[in-house]
Amino acid sequence: MISHGRPSGRPAVRQMAGRRTSWVVWFRRAIQSAFLLLFLYLFLQTVYHPINKAGWRVTLFFDLDPLVAITVWLAAHALVSSLLLSLITVAVTVFFGRWFCGWVCPFGTVHHLFSSFRGGKVKARLEAGGYTRWQRWKYYVLALFLGSALVGSNLAGWLDPFSFFYRSLATAVFPAVNLAAQKSFGWVYLIDPGVGKIRATAITEPAYDVLRHYFLAAQQPHYFWSLMIGLLFGAALALNFFRARFWCRYICPLGALLGVAGKNPVLRLVADPATCNDCRLCLADCQGGANPQAGEAWKPAECLYCWNCRSSCPSGSIAFRFEVPGVNKP
Amino acid sequence: MSIAKYRSSPAAPDGIAEEARRLVRQAVDALGGMGRFVARGDTVWVKPNIGWDRRPEQAATTNPDLVAAIVEMCFQAGAGKVFVSDNPCNEAIRTFPRSGIQQAAEKAGARCYFLDERKFRRMAVKGKVLKDWEIYADVVEANKLINVPIVKHHSLTRATLGMKNLMGVAGGARNRMHQDPDNALADLAAFLKPVLVVVDAVRILTSNGPVGGSLADVKRADTVVASTDQVAADAFGATLLGVKPQQIGHILEASRRGLGKIDYGALSPTMLTI
Amino acid sequence: MIKSAARWLVNFFRPPPESGLDLTRRSLITSGLAGVGGGLLFGIHPLAGGKSFNPDLVRPPGAVPEEEFLGRCIRCGECMKVCPTNAVQPTLLEAGLSGMWSPVLKMRMGYCEYECTLCTQVCPTKAISELAVEEKQKVKIGLAYIDRNRCLPYALARTCIVCEEHCPTPKKAIWFEETDVLNIRGEKVRVKQPHVDPDLCIGCGICENKCPVADRAAILVTSVGETRNPKNQTLLPL
Repeated sequence: MISHGRPSGRPAVRQMAGRRTSWVVWFRRAIQSAFLLLFLYLFLQTVYHPINKAGWRVTLFFDLDPLVAITVWLAAHALVSSLLLSLITVAVTVFFGRWFCGWVCPFGTVHHLFSSFRGGKVKARLEAGGYTRWQRWKYYVLALFLGSALVGSNLAGWLDPFSFFYRSLATAVFPAVNLAAQKSFGWVYLIDPGVGKIRATAITEPAYDVLRHYFLAAQQPHYFWSLMIGLLFGAALALNFFRARFWCRYICPLGALLGVAGKNPVLRLVADPATCNDCRLCLADCQGGANPQAGEAWKPAECLYCWNCRSSCPSGSIAFRFEVPGVNKP
Repeated sequence: MSIAKYRSSPAAPDGIAEEARRLVRQAVDALGGMGRFVARGDTVWVKPNIGWDRRPEQAATTNPDLVAAIVEMCFQAGAGKVFVSDNPCNEAIRTFPRSGIQQAAEKAGARCYFLDERKFRRMAVKGKVLKDWEIYADVVEANKLINVPIVKHHSLTRATLGMKNLMGVAGGARNRMHQDPDNALADLAAFLKPVLVVVDAVRILTSNGPVGGSLADVKRADTVVASTDQVAADAFGATLLGVKPQQIGHILEASRRGLGKIDYGALSPTMLTI
Repeated sequence: MIKSAARWLVNFFRPPPESGLDLTRRSLITSGLAGVGGGLLFGIHPLAGGKSFNPDLVRPPGAVPEEEFLGRCIRCGECMKVCPTNAVQPTLLEAGLSGMWSPVLKMRMGYCEYECTLCTQVCPTKAISELAVEEKQKVKIGLAYIDRNRCLPYALARTCIVCEEHCPTPKKAIWFEETDVLNIRGEKVRVKQPHVDPDLCIGCGICENKCPVADRAAILVTSVGETRNPKNQTLLPL
């Protein structure tokens, strides 16, 4: 069941029954979840607390976002001090590539989640997995935003992943969740189902109280254009059924910026053609569309360092190593 | 009816807290103690003024220590549950903590929570102008209602006291009641009939009410009034603002309807000086 | 070691063709110029050049002047989330297309709470610069004006003054003219007719929010008089 020779398009067979996923992948998933939960926590904390202060550092993710820092600097000629944190992101990316996209970005994690819902046979994933020229478009989006920021119009917020995510949560998703809770608990309250003295509201009302105290808003929020913003959010997520991490590959201007910064990282993917058995499972599981398979040119600017390729490879042909490009090249 | 006045006028917050507690206890005890109004196991609804996003010293909301003392007295009289809440004009998430009432009430053991929209129900108020109106169901279903207003100036009604404070039990389009406040407030007072009214006049707002804001508008009257007659209580409260009760339309109307006595002197109120 | 680092630096800027970025310089420049072009077109819009002012564009207190605002605002929605009265809303075209989804206050949804500065605290790019409460209370975000065709004491011979009741400034920004009007039955009714004091009014909008004329309030806040824009004014300081 080992296929040799040139890539023939024959469906590869999963040879990994019983093979364990690399510990790095589990670690990565834990870190991704942690950052996503942190983002959601900060979102919920952006609310009045009885000392006229919003929660602690609710803008943390925006402070780490170099796209925000650069476009504000270009458009408003101002360096916002809190945004200097984004230099850390850039510095790390220069050496380690788009690690930020693969491990930190909460919007990326959501896309990653939706991509995994796709499931599908290996063949389908193979067709959708590889690098396509369309991935250039995010760089064009970035250039567009930088160009308009240069003349004072900062539009980056429309497609910056944190802005997009936060705005969709604030004006569409969270109010919808609130309404759903209000309607469902309200329906139980109205109908008041139960048998004799045992009533459902004895459970649902305290549960609703807990939800309102910790998660839901004090009053049902209402926003104009919530339908438009919500549909755009849904569309962005739905695109993952077409291509894995569609947003990250084709749209994200922050990903493009980090791709530029991380186009020559020190941590590089090395695939050994000698041991490679051409199963192309690495390609099927590649999230970023970076061409991880041996014999192809790995694209560091597209690689999200998700480690799936190394984890999926049955023959251990793929490794990530610290190398200075041009020095250790075979 | 009893009127308790403090001899001194302490400036420190602790002093004012102590003053409020002592005044209200003495005033209620002079009427026969809270046990006269609250029976064992009762569900009591304490309705202070938590309407505005202001601090206690700005005298837009009821004194929190006074509310706490009332809650304590209710429990001492054997109340089963005590609720403290209001339908505020500013946002509840701000008014409840900033007025200090949420913390004080909860510390005293009461349940202080934001009103639930679902529990406002159209009720047959059967008043002159309010035929039916949204009223908070839990208040009507409670055993006892204790109204705890603060004395404030008001540009439309000249003063906002106990009967005006009852608007905080109503929902719906309350902003329409101002088209006939005399009758609307009398209608509410007749419908809700609190068992006890405790008027907070420790700090009063003498102008730019009911919202206030400037400390220059706050005066110390160092007084607490307890009464079963909501009209008489309001009438006395008005005098603290230098207004004759007959000049206040809704007090006059309520008195005309027989809801209480506008001439509070006729009740021979117990005057206490502490 | 140093040799490697130097080599790496060189390779960063001139990477071998298989790695690096798969872009043509031409397409990159084209998109950049498209962005510049688009930005310039936005700049021609009358709202951008300060030639006209949208009365409905009431920005949060602490907002920087509009040109800078559009450069800083990243449409993140933090201010919309934190506003305790739900007043801060996303725009569609109120600020022009380039301002889409930037924040605007809609007074029928909420109002600017007098002692609150939450939006100024959460803006990541300081498009809404942080204000202390005392500073915020002196910033005008607009002015209220009364539509006498709808206001009850003017148009319907009924008492009201809900606007004055809720006005939060320590000396209220609404004063009265007590006058007699004729009602529909020809009877004289004594009403208090409200007037706005534009020196005291800060445009917080609670008057518009609480006005009982439920569909379109009889007292409305518009952007004129906003502190951040010296051109969008109406009064001569007397």
